Amino acid sequence: MTASFEPICEKCEELIQPYLDRELSEAERLEAEGHLAGCGYCSERYRFEVSLRQYVRQACCQEEMSPELKAKLASLRTPLDD
Amino acid sequence: MAEAETEARRLATEARDRVRFEEEVLGLADQVFRVARRLVSTREEAEDLVQETYARAFRSWRSYTPGTNLRAWLMRILTNLNIDRGRRQQRAPDMQPMEEGDYFLYNRLEETSGPAAEERIVERLSQDSIVEALANVPHDFRDAIVLVDIGDFSYQEAAQILDVPIGTVMSRLHRGRRILKGELAEAAVGEES
Repeated sequence: MTASFEPICEKCEELIQPYLDRELSEAERLEAEGHLAGCGYCSERYRFEVSLRQYVRQACCQEEMSPELKAKLASLRTPLDD
Repeated sequence: MAEAETEARRLATEARDRVRFEEEVLGLADQVFRVARRLVSTREEAEDLVQETYARAFRSWRSYTPGTNLRAWLMRILTNLNIDRGRRQQRAPDMQPMEEGDYFLYNRLEETSGPAAEERIVERLSQDSIVEALANVPHDFRDAIVLVDIGDFSYQEAAQILDVPIGTVMSRLHRGRRILKGELAEAAVGEES
């Protein structure tokens, strides 16, 4: 499997995170998409990175703010007649 | 008389602006809490931090320029307060092996438990282990990850919030995500055995 890993995949690996962050230049974005479309090795790993991001986000955003805290924050507002 | 009227109008405008500002800020509370919760270790700490952030934001509302990025302005207060709270005790980040690439976690999970659809491989990690792994990432790196991956801020916004150059955000993200993956790989191996 690693035998299919070429220098161009290394470049693609570097581009994947900023690609997911939508922070690539137009030229880099096209380069990454072009490579991903034709390379099974990188596209498998790309799909994993996408799911990982979603999974981390889901795991880390489970706790909701309590209604008590919400009420407390609202009570910190400046009174209108101040 | 005219002066008194002008002053009354000015005060009325200011009161209206302030109310609008406070409402907008309160509307962001859930997002602020989610970020705060991952920046600190416990729920209580996160609640204190959010409260302090709001108290300060309401006090210094005049320093916010209407029309600019309110979410980033608020988050900057939050991260500054968090740093002020003296969170400096932590292990040195360079203890982590950094030679692995970004594909490292996928390769490791695939190696240890066999092939599966890429989307399913991620489910080999428990949600608790993800929360714990993120908590183990040293603060500077974690701040960048939390702002970009949980707070949905751009690199540029994260740079403004943390008051560091954009290149620093990029390198902290890069390194931080690799540390996170290292932690996740360790957790996955631990769960296997």
